[in-house]
Amino acid sequence: MIVLRNVSKIYPKGVEALSNVDLCIGKEEFVFIVGPTGSGKSTLLKLLYREEFATNGQVLLDRVNLSEMKDSQIPFLRRNIGVVFQDYKLLPNRTIYENVAFALQVMGASRSFIRRHAGQALELVGLFKKANCFPGELSGGEQQRACIARAIVNNPPLVLADEPTGNLDPSTSWEIIHLLDKINKRNTTVIVTTHNKSIVDGMRKRVIALEAGRIIRDQQLGVYSNVL
Amino acid sequence: MSFEFFLRESWTGFRRSGIMSVVSLVTITVSLVVFGAFLLAVANLGNIASIIGSKMEIAAYVDKNIDDSSAAAISLQISAIEGVESVKFVSKEEAWKNFRSDYEGRLALGEIISENPLPNTFLIKVKSPQATSAAAKKISNMAVINEVRYSGNLADRFQSVLDLIRVSGFILVALLIIATLLIVVNTIKLTVIARQTDIYIMRLVGATNSFIKWPFIMEGVLIGLIGAALSFIILKFSYDLAVHELQDFMPFIPLITSGYRLFWIYISVSAIGVVLGMLGAYISVNSLLKGD
Repeated sequence: MIVLRNVSKIYPKGVEALSNVDLCIGKEEFVFIVGPTGSGKSTLLKLLYREEFATNGQVLLDRVNLSEMKDSQIPFLRRNIGVVFQDYKLLPNRTIYENVAFALQVMGASRSFIRRHAGQALELVGLFKKANCFPGELSGGEQQRACIARAIVNNPPLVLADEPTGNLDPSTSWEIIHLLDKINKRNTTVIVTTHNKSIVDGMRKRVIALEAGRIIRDQQLGVYSNVL
Repeated sequence: MSFEFFLRESWTGFRRSGIMSVVSLVTITVSLVVFGAFLLAVANLGNIASIIGSKMEIAAYVDKNIDDSSAAAISLQISAIEGVESVKFVSKEEAWKNFRSDYEGRLALGEIISENPLPNTFLIKVKSPQATSAAAKKISNMAVINEVRYSGNLADRFQSVLDLIRVSGFILVALLIIATLLIVVNTIKLTVIARQTDIYIMRLVGATNSFIKWPFIMEGVLIGLIGAALSFIILKFSYDLAVHELQDFMPFIPLITSGYRLFWIYISVSAIGVVLGMLGAYISVNSLLKGD
């Protein structure tokens, strides 16, 4: 599903965030991308939803080369990708329901379609009862679940989560990871960047470790670090 | 659903930009009022000019009393002059009667003037405005005529003043429109900047550029529409008041009161308002949300 061939990303100020990355992620995989801050994890995700594009090399998503994609096509790419953020990025002056419905309104969905699917997504993340609350009235974990609901409301085949547990306590972090796992089991590819060792070690999924923009390890049923 | 969504978005945007929305609303209203006042003034002055022009008559006055037969003889003499189309004799009694019936009730003439002050008058229509001055000269050379008056010069002078007003007015209005446009552009820019996060998220969930732009452009239209409505109320109210007052004090000034002509003036003012709002929003949104 996702293929990166010899991908490098150099930001305009000369910082090399990724260098010569080769990577292949199949359909319905669950992948952790780990590494210290500044190792290029977020950049890798940004390449996939075309927030950034590669300086060199090819980024292929379902055989489409994202570097060659026209700007006008980007919105349609993103409708097939759900993105989850460390800081949730919910709109503060809209209710949770409106935040989730927003992703569907943008696509021009009908009102009844929106009501049904937004309801289902909130049900899935366990926030149905808080649908009419504003983000500020929810805990961090709940806000993250709302963010996930928004990411999956239109059933995208790919969900990218950038440090989804970065601001959460350990038990809430586990709730979020279990939720992402549940979404993965509904035939969705899930890619999670994190530096939460206990979660990576506990989940035993594929682990790709980055350091200074290079892949230093790619391991099935991996752990956070091989160094003991 | 989309239209309703856009409307709601633009209304929220309008409210959120608060003071800046009010500033641009006031500016747009003020410039529309000035624009409308200018249009009304030009239309009225043009109206006066055309009335003066259409009354291209020469009036020849005879002070001494003349009887009907000598009046007919003088009429015949005047008709023979080149360029004259028709001659009409108005005796001083007739003129006095007409004058009194025209101003009956408005001026208490009988109390001020007891004797008829008006002369016998020959009203001469000419074939073309160009022939007026030559004909007038010949008529004034006739021994029996005491004085000749014609409005040709006045109409010409009035027309050139009107042209001057038109040109300077258009420059003023153009400047005002540019200023208004810039203020609208800025207002919408502030809304766009205030909503950067919203826009970022919209992009992330796959909103197309036009989808993102529409609410802002509608917000501009909204400012234009409200401005147009406000300026219409102000213009209509003050013009009606002005007409009412002027008709009392200076009933001889022919003001436009026809609903049809006024309707078109008000419509064009409102249309300018909406276009200004929309164009301003379009410019600012396009300068801020280039491509992706």
